[in-house]
Amino acid sequence: MRTDRLYIGLGKTLAVGLVLIWSLLPIVFIVLSSLKPGVEIFAVPPKFFFTPTLEHYVNLWEKWGTFFQGLFNSLVVTVGATLLAVSASAAAGYVCSRYRSRFLTGSIFFLIVVRLIPPIVVTLPLFPAVNWLRLNDTHIVLIVLYATFFVSLGTILMRTFIDQIPRELDEAAQIDGAGRLTILRLVILPLAAPGILAVAVFVVVYAWNEFLFAFIFTATRAKTAPFVISEMIGSIDGVDWGVLFAASTAQLAPVLLFVVFMHRYLVAGLTAGATKG
Amino acid sequence: MNLRKAAEVLPFIAPVQALVLGVIVIPSAFVVWMSFHVSSFGQAPQFVGWANYLKILTDPAFLRSLGNTFLIVLTAVHVELLVGLGMALLFASGLPWRRYLLVAVLAPYAVSEVTAVAMWRFLFDPDLGPVTMVLQSLNLPILDWSFEPSHALIMVGLLTVWLHLPFTFVILYAARLAIPKDLYEAAFIDGATRLQAFAKITLPLLGPAIVIALLFRYIFAFRLFSEVWLLTGGGPARSTEVVAVYLYEEAFRFNAFGTAAATAWIMVLISMLLAAGYVLILRRETAADAY
Amino acid sequence: MSRIDDFRFTRRALLGTALGGAAMLAAPRAFAAGKTLNVLSHKVHQTVLTAGKSGDLLEGWRKANDAEIVWSTFDSNPLQDRLFREASLGETEFNVGFLIDNRPTAQIASLFEPLDDYLAKAPIEDFKDIAPGLVQAMTIQGKLIGIPVRHATQGLFYNEALLEEQGIKAPPTTLEELVEQAKKLTFKSAAGTPVVGMVLASDLAVFPVMFARAFGGDYITKDFKLVPEPEAMEKGLSVMKDMFDAGALPRSYATTSNDDQVTWLQQGRAAFTVLPFARNAQLNNPQQSKFPGRIKAVEFPISSALKGKMPMSAVVESWAMTILKNSRNKDLSWSFLREVSTKRATLGMANSGNGPVRVSTYADPDFAAANPLAAVEAKVLAHARGAFPPFPEAARAQSIFLEEVQLAVLGRKPVKQAVADIRARVQPLLPA
Repeated sequence: MRTDRLYIGLGKTLAVGLVLIWSLLPIVFIVLSSLKPGVEIFAVPPKFFFTPTLEHYVNLWEKWGTFFQGLFNSLVVTVGATLLAVSASAAAGYVCSRYRSRFLTGSIFFLIVVRLIPPIVVTLPLFPAVNWLRLNDTHIVLIVLYATFFVSLGTILMRTFIDQIPRELDEAAQIDGAGRLTILRLVILPLAAPGILAVAVFVVVYAWNEFLFAFIFTATRAKTAPFVISEMIGSIDGVDWGVLFAASTAQLAPVLLFVVFMHRYLVAGLTAGATKG
Repeated sequence: MNLRKAAEVLPFIAPVQALVLGVIVIPSAFVVWMSFHVSSFGQAPQFVGWANYLKILTDPAFLRSLGNTFLIVLTAVHVELLVGLGMALLFASGLPWRRYLLVAVLAPYAVSEVTAVAMWRFLFDPDLGPVTMVLQSLNLPILDWSFEPSHALIMVGLLTVWLHLPFTFVILYAARLAIPKDLYEAAFIDGATRLQAFAKITLPLLGPAIVIALLFRYIFAFRLFSEVWLLTGGGPARSTEVVAVYLYEEAFRFNAFGTAAATAWIMVLISMLLAAGYVLILRRETAADAY
Repeated sequence: MSRIDDFRFTRRALLGTALGGAAMLAAPRAFAAGKTLNVLSHKVHQTVLTAGKSGDLLEGWRKANDAEIVWSTFDSNPLQDRLFREASLGETEFNVGFLIDNRPTAQIASLFEPLDDYLAKAPIEDFKDIAPGLVQAMTIQGKLIGIPVRHATQGLFYNEALLEEQGIKAPPTTLEELVEQAKKLTFKSAAGTPVVGMVLASDLAVFPVMFARAFGGDYITKDFKLVPEPEAMEKGLSVMKDMFDAGALPRSYATTSNDDQVTWLQQGRAAFTVLPFARNAQLNNPQQSKFPGRIKAVEFPISSALKGKMPMSAVVESWAMTILKNSRNKDLSWSFLREVSTKRATLGMANSGNGPVRVSTYADPDFAAANPLAAVEAKVLAHARGAFPPFPEAARAQSIFLEEVQLAVLGRKPVKQAVADIRARVQPLLPA
């Protein structure tokens, strides 16, 4: 019996070890390599102890100024898309939670079906349309695209979270003469904060990391960080791996920290989003 | 619903519906129109009927890309499910520092496809990559992804699993935690073994979550683009192309918008079919909710 | 001047203290000059103009025009995709685009500004000095749409040090010798580096075309004859397959890019490669290369059967600068084109490793002295021609051609079958 426990314990430790290696090793490698002197990046066996250097970051700053502009663009687009997606979803989720009707059921069903359309499909007609609207290579086009591909999940999530807020609160406010919009703003939203954060986590991670739309719809002014990194992968001169790692680390670090701090809402969102629609 | 109520509701759902209509629905409908025409830069569209569909359905490159896509979807998603299930059970069996471990497992969710490709290209570089070195020193076969199409597909599969495992894991883990403890206690009192408990309690109760995780991953894996595009560009000899890459090449390399649109619409149809079961179930549920 | 220097200082200081932060993110925008010229090009164009041996050749122009140049660089094929996509829009941010000579069909040419009027109003210095053949390639239906800026004539580069290490005294003079030497040079060098005989990119038609021409064949001729000598193409591909089987082409052949060729040669990981002569400076650049001064080039050799009977016709590709028809500020763009086309800039770029488009550059004594390859290049150029002519489905045709070549070289399809399939699949794409 005791040896049994021991084996189970050992097995579990081993399994946990494997899980950790699988999940974290690639990330750790990139981050460490970005701080290694160029010649040591490919050293065999890999060095885990070395004198860290910022040379690759300095290089990145000097040779790839566009990368930092890309980070700035990513920030603008991410904030914009998150605000748009969250506010639109909150409004729709609220009425979907508080009213029951064929029309709303139909519109939720419609949102779910729309979620099935692969994003690359709309790039074909949107490319000339965006250009006709003079929105090519702007932050706006990415903000709208990113928000749109998350409003259906957002609406469903918000509905789920708002469902848990007792209706009596609305009714009390209504008696006090508050309109729907006021109720949403002053009563519902503060209480639905976890839902808002859950939606926000999804949009932030998606908008910060997205590649395909950025690749197709931006050129110079609104180019995002992942797009710049993809250019670096394409035109790297062998010895410049360090610069690529520095850029990858700089792109990854903020969103990784964000996910670490918000993981609770990410889990809540994933669970609610998947099971409810 | 009466008119007054409708007028009250409409402003709230209008933004969402406007976005979805303007950005997804109308453009997709336009793609249908495009798929029946031939057009390119500086060339007026010309109606050709089903010719574009016929052309791609008889193009070996398209069929191969479709085959590759299904191969990746079917293997990667199922491997992911098994691993995710194993991890969910491991976590549910009680682990120390569970919160920290959870964060560690979620980490790849934050990584962009582009950065992930940079990482994996480096780790598995056939000449210098650390993983290649380790495999070689252990006399194990290396992942020769820049030469063998099958290895390249394995690499794409691994990358996909790495990026999306957090999703599958969280869904299954949450479902597992939702199973009441007393069910197991009762079973063990009745003399059930661990295996029996797993087969009779865990698996059936996880069923819906498994189906949902699978469907979601089918649909999303079917769109696969960046991983392949940035890792192999579809090569060698277009042998690792997936449908989305085929679409991109038709549209933006060969400037053949008609065949690209036909490809796009075929993608939509297949996604819908993949999800048909799921949508039907949901429809019944949402309909039930409404009354 | 001082503004830019201050800025540099700030950048360093910021880096020293903290990474990240909105102030730093916003910084690159802060130094935007009065005007911006967006250029869409290959990295190599940016390098020879701004960061080569000759330094920044455009510093004067930028100051005189109070303009910043913003470069967006891509590899050749994605670059052309992007250029045409941008040029087809109602309006684009890009002002100047670099165009390859085998791309402008009548449809594509209509996307670019005709330059004849600009040339008449504000002429380019000694325009007649620019190689007429290159200008001809950019004259579509009587309209000049691009100013030639670079020609890339392919030569055979070899690492002298590695040849010596394996006891090879002279570079090959026939294709058969090349294959033999390449096989001999597939070894582990004294430095411990695994060396492959030859490295070639798999996504460019140039290389299989060169091998076919060594046997008197071709891919698509100027008058649209597809694979005129199928046996020559078969022989060419068989030679490549043979080298691949012997390990004399890397196993990663199918994912090797143009940039990899440079890196592999610089690092001593490959003994031979086929690259434009103009890459000589880069390959021997002591800051990047482990073998500065030891990488040399000769004419790509013809097969022994044809040696002395006909000249080897190497592939030449030229690049031209175009002004996008839908762009703004075209006068600034033209001023940029004029500046880059001056004798001074052409010579400067040539010294930084650009294939000069002016005949006079080759006559410059300093250039000839510093470029031992100038004479060889001039000789090869005399018989060189493009890999294939422009036509609407050229991109698709090239993709099919390369697909079949890769299948044949990797041994996934018999060579004969691959050549037959090239003929069958490309024929319908040719203009009637």
